[in-house]
Amino acid sequence: MPDQHEGELAEKIQRLIETIDIANILTEPLTKSIEEILRVTAEDLGSNEASVLVRDGDNGDLRFLSAVGQVAERLVGVLIPAGKGIAGFVLSSGQPIAVANADADASFYREVDKLTGYSTEMILATPLRHDGEVIGVLEYINRAGDPPYKPFSPDEMDRAARFADAIASLVRAYESAKLFRDMGQKIVGEGSEFDITEVREWLSHYRGGAEHREMMDLAVIVREIAGRGEAERSLCRSVLEALLTYTSDTINQTYLRY
Amino acid sequence: MTAVSGIEKVNGSTRAMYFQLDDSWRSARGKGVSVAVIDSGIDIGHPDLAGKVVDSVEARVDNKKVVFDPSDAGDSAGHGTACAGIISKIAPDSELHSIKVLGAGGLGDGMAFLAGLEWAIKQKYRVINLSLGTTKPQFFAPLHDLLDRAYQAGCIVVAAANNLPQPSFPSVFSSSLISVIKSEEKDPLNFGFHYGEVIELTAPGVNIRTAWPGGDYRSLTGNSFACPHIVGVIALLLEKHPDLTPFHVKSALHSIAMENQNRNGEIVR
Repeated sequence: MPDQHEGELAEKIQRLIETIDIANILTEPLTKSIEEILRVTAEDLGSNEASVLVRDGDNGDLRFLSAVGQVAERLVGVLIPAGKGIAGFVLSSGQPIAVANADADASFYREVDKLTGYSTEMILATPLRHDGEVIGVLEYINRAGDPPYKPFSPDEMDRAARFADAIASLVRAYESAKLFRDMGQKIVGEGSEFDITEVREWLSHYRGGAEHREMMDLAVIVREIAGRGEAERSLCRSVLEALLTYTSDTINQTYLRY
Repeated sequence: MTAVSGIEKVNGSTRAMYFQLDDSWRSARGKGVSVAVIDSGIDIGHPDLAGKVVDSVEARVDNKKVVFDPSDAGDSAGHGTACAGIISKIAPDSELHSIKVLGAGGLGDGMAFLAGLEWAIKQKYRVINLSLGTTKPQFFAPLHDLLDRAYQAGCIVVAAANNLPQPSFPSVFSSSLISVIKSEEKDPLNFGFHYGEVIELTAPGVNIRTAWPGGDYRSLTGNSFACPHIVGVIALLLEKHPDLTPFHVKSALHSIAMENQNRNGEIVR
């Protein structure tokens, strides 16, 4: 990191600590939870592979957010253009669908199969819905064992729809956290030439510090109080504001000022 | 021969009547019946559909309005081709009209398919396959209006029920629309009618082998694929009885289904 940037960088990061740090703390367990649910529900449906695709931009494109199975690593991050394939249909129609290969030699899911080298024989795809909006698609691919596979049944479609409700809440939470993170990246990156890996390194170092742990403990206490009701929130705010005023002479800067 | 309850107008007044529907429709092929498929487009090059798609249009947003242009985009999702394949299998001589509303980037789902439905009604297509729906309450009233317009224009709209446990529009409208939910039945003519249910008709919709873009075939499950089975049957009825109104068609479906259910030993309502 060049010296002339160091002071400026530290100041910017301090202002964005809560944004970026909270986002990182939030996103990691969320993606792990999504993966875990995918694993458990895929097993329940006797499926080999499961994945979550989320909207990417406003044009109906989809991107693999999470996947489990043998080609999971190759799928995450792959973009499916608007309206393409079964996932594109599910996103735009909001309807689940179960599709199976009718002929043994037909290529099923050409674009994605070409990329992963995996042979898709059947898909159960259902929308991820939150507040009446379709925010993504949940897919289960193939059955465990060898072909010919038993097609997904209407009962399994209903079960997948229930799994989708649980996953949709997690995806929504992930998206909110990601929004914070992206916003932080954008602001930190504005007018600077350093990349975000430097921010991560700095944060990693910072998180190890006693001061940071104390701040997080304080944040947990405030969240606990705030969660108890309107009266408690109001009292908490009054106490904290009074404390802030009382100590203002000794405080040179506050993390709350942005 | 099927006895169908219906109505007729005599000197301006309406009265109940029964008419006899002969069985000629069972050997019909849907000749001369225009069928609109409002969906993701149709792969017109598929061997099962070659020469059967009379025209294809695609939704596009122009100055905040949805307009329709002639389209050679085909079907990038597969759903529309699958529906068209089912219709064509039952009524191979019907004239298919593809109205592509899914898959166009930036289009709101409800807005695009409402525009597609309006387009189909303006063209006065006799049967409209709507294997789509919306759960958004803001589309309830405009869809109701469009369905009434379709009814008045003699267009028979057939909609798929929502696959998810939530009402979707227009499938929950009962008066001016035929709504279909999937069953595990395989015979397309052995459909069911459950008067008084929110979704009255049942038709095959589980593991249905049908056309898929690129000359392929897929086995599909969903209410989306029950809907075109009923559309195909209606095309058969209309070839032999072109003057049937939407009301007559629904009555005819009810009567045929009652015969089916009697034959199957099911309790009939």
